[in-house]
Amino acid sequence: MIFPFTAIVNQEKMKLGLILNVIDSSIGGLLIMGEKGTAKSTAVRALAELLPEIEVSCECRFNCDPKGYLCSECKEKLLQEGGLQTEKKRMRVVELPLGVTEDRLVGTLDIEHAIKKGEKRFEPGILAGANRNFLYVDEVNLLEDHIVDLLLDSAAMGVNTVEREGISFSHPARFILVGTMNPEEGELRPQLLDRFGLCVSVASIMDKNQRIEILKRKAAFDLNPEEFAEEWKEEQGRLAKRIVTAKERLNSIKVDDEILEKIVSITSNLNLDGHRADIVILKTARALASFREKDAITRDEIKDAAVIALRHRLKRLPFEDIEEEGKKLNQIFAEF
Amino acid sequence: MNFSDFIGHDDAKLSLILNAIDPNCGGVIFVGERGTGKSTLARLLKNILPDDTPFVEMPLNVTEDALLGGIDIDATIRTGKRVIQKGLLSRANNGFFYIDDINLLPPHILSIILEVQNRGKVVIEREGFSIKESARFIILATMNPQEGLISPHMLDNFGMCAFFESLKDPAKRVSILKTQLGLAQSESDKGLLNKIGTARMNLEKIKVIKEIKEYIVKLCMDSNISGHRGEIFLFYAARAYAAYMGESSLKKEHVDTVLPLVFIHRQRVLEEKKQEQKEIDHQSREEKQEGNRDHEQGMEQQNKDNESEDESKFNTNMEQRESLPDEEIFDVGESFKTKRLLFKKDQKIRVATGRRTKTKVKGRSGRYVKSLMNSRIKDIAIDATIRAAAPFQRARMIQGNRGDSTIIIKDEDIRYKQREKRMGHLVIFVVDGSGSMGVQKRMVETKGAIKSLLMDCYQKRDRVSLIVFRKDKAEAILPPTSSVQLASKKLKEIPTGGKTPLGDGLLETYRLIKNVSIKEPETRFIVILISDGKANQNSTKLSVEEEIERISLSLTELPYVDFIVIDTEEKGKFLTTDYAKKIASYLKADYYTIKDLKVEDLTEIVKVAKKE
Repeated sequence: MIFPFTAIVNQEKMKLGLILNVIDSSIGGLLIMGEKGTAKSTAVRALAELLPEIEVSCECRFNCDPKGYLCSECKEKLLQEGGLQTEKKRMRVVELPLGVTEDRLVGTLDIEHAIKKGEKRFEPGILAGANRNFLYVDEVNLLEDHIVDLLLDSAAMGVNTVEREGISFSHPARFILVGTMNPEEGELRPQLLDRFGLCVSVASIMDKNQRIEILKRKAAFDLNPEEFAEEWKEEQGRLAKRIVTAKERLNSIKVDDEILEKIVSITSNLNLDGHRADIVILKTARALASFREKDAITRDEIKDAAVIALRHRLKRLPFEDIEEEGKKLNQIFAEF
Repeated sequence: MNFSDFIGHDDAKLSLILNAIDPNCGGVIFVGERGTGKSTLARLLKNILPDDTPFVEMPLNVTEDALLGGIDIDATIRTGKRVIQKGLLSRANNGFFYIDDINLLPPHILSIILEVQNRGKVVIEREGFSIKESARFIILATMNPQEGLISPHMLDNFGMCAFFESLKDPAKRVSILKTQLGLAQSESDKGLLNKIGTARMNLEKIKVIKEIKEYIVKLCMDSNISGHRGEIFLFYAARAYAAYMGESSLKKEHVDTVLPLVFIHRQRVLEEKKQEQKEIDHQSREEKQEGNRDHEQGMEQQNKDNESEDESKFNTNMEQRESLPDEEIFDVGESFKTKRLLFKKDQKIRVATGRRTKTKVKGRSGRYVKSLMNSRIKDIAIDATIRAAAPFQRARMIQGNRGDSTIIIKDEDIRYKQREKRMGHLVIFVVDGSGSMGVQKRMVETKGAIKSLLMDCYQKRDRVSLIVFRKDKAEAILPPTSSVQLASKKLKEIPTGGKTPLGDGLLETYRLIKNVSIKEPETRFIVILISDGKANQNSTKLSVEEEIERISLSLTELPYVDFIVIDTEEKGKFLTTDYAKKIASYLKADYYTIKDLKVEDLTEIVKVAKKE
């Protein structure tokens, strides 16, 4: 049993960051920074219960989107049968353990099949399972470099191509990357840092009543997880529904030029590399407006989106830490 | 021996009893010197657990495979079906996992164990198979702090902590001897077992009013305990205690009784944080005099902190030193982000942990880079084996008359994996503490640079050691340790003043490397010499300069050592001597000034990273 998402006390930014990525899966994932014991992992794992269904190609091992890039198997099927049957499948949170080997990440030769049938067949790895799902890496800053490189490659391409052991295979690998880390244990390489659409930091809650509530809920959950889940079922259902509705309305949110100009005015002030930040802020603000049941993006959404989209992208002076960056952002918003 | 026969250490016994009553208590770590009964008592927990509770002891030198389980290669190849072997962690499911000397574990093993514990599941993704098995267990551990510490972050995973000291009471010590010899009347655990059983049944019936929860949270907040594990563990420990006392409701006194067990290792974290905060405050203050006053306070605090640690020679030295006027202890200057220190891969095959330099590895972890015909490690590369066997299948089928569809693999087909991963080094800081370093507070800046490098060492999981040379000799003030915190502490205490016995500093480094190499011949070293190079004291019959040249030569002949010289001489003045540069050439070292060491901004980090 997993602790229900809605029963997590406070930590609103972290929860919102996750929800927005469900609403618009192209936002680019979330990095959660913070100390141990602040419900980071719990929140990510708990998200699984709230995820909506997606349409996938029937019996596809890679969750291919029938309208999108197809895996080698679906392509063949399409050629032979002239069309693809579809089915509904629920999105998942796929975990990437730290000790993962390269072949398990990208997939490899199916040894059992090779031994028994004497045929080469591709055995999907974690990237296959992660396609159109969440990919969760706990302590992402401790991941080995060569694994990080593979992750970055497929994240950039959206495709995983395997050429090894005499097999040649490619399949779509578009995943929503969620990482948690404790910055004291070491920093992330800038390339990987920039891959995360959003970034939030979590700290211990300092409100006494909320802390009592945490204790109460944790004890109730440990005592009887089923009963606890039942108590939160309605709340969970409400949120799940709200997410689905927001996802459906996403494209009807109005984005006029004034909004675009406002976004650019923030980012151009900050002297950032590339245009990724602009795009992420826009998408996040739109998902936020939809989640808040608005028809159009307002100043509030831009501001809230910018806070979580920019914190890890600011150019850092050597002695500044994360808190300093927060201050810099606040200053910009004060003028905004 | 029964649990009830164990003499003394009532708090530690209580912690075990509470965990036996309620596994939600989160396990316990026993901290203390050798021979104080930690392991004996920990193992006795078995005796007070219900018969079907798993109690798995982790053997020393455990491998990743043994911990997590994996594929049984032999059986898999022979049968053509995947055969999975259960690991130690899955076997501990719903029970206890016992780790002796947890601080001596290689860091990657410890992080595997904690990852599995947090997840409650063993998840293996490798060699084309995927295993998920339930693994909910409570960790019971011991450690001897004299042999190194573990990070606060790891300590936080333990519900409780109990300290062990030798018992002072002679009567008790006599009883211990009697028990050991089997002379004492053995006490049955039956009564205790019944009591624990009853407590376990009543556990969830215990009333907990809101005020008690408020009290628990207040205690945690007042003590500024970070994260939310403190109150959760405190609650469970107190409730188990109430059940043990046969009470029907949880009272403040129950909380108070178990409080030290739950708080002791969390408060230590806090003290360290406080100290760090102090340092930061320090750095922001420019006023020299104010800094000095503050510094004395810092010293007091440190001495307190040191109480439980190894009473090093150094502390005694410090007391003597107080009467000497020509010495000063400078603050640690501002730290900064250092450049990536990169080293080439060598040919040695090692058991590697860490994150700095690539190396070929012996174990079964790491990246599989190629296959070998022969290897001492029986880590079979299935793909290469099959490839080797493939061409002969037709002939073998006919010869062997085998009707089934599995392929026939002969011994000569078997290939093994050559793996590669990153390792940490032993980084030896050889620090100049002579008077010339005190000029214009150069030492402040130097200490800042060392601190920055220490941070890098922590992140790369290196071990570190500190050698200081000043006055008439060099001294290893910190033996090799993985505790960077300890190193930071020692760094602060480094005094400045006196002559510059640089040769002796190098000689001491030579001795240290030799010693470590005898015990651990695979170790790769980085020697970082931090000095202005103005040596003026010899320790041999040779002249100062000749001595340095000779010892440098011996040092460069040692295998697996890389050298870095950090020149602290102020450049740009007309009296620049560049002695350190010369020493760097003797040592064939990479040469930096402190300024060179700094990464100026983010773009530069990227540049350095790309070069790799």
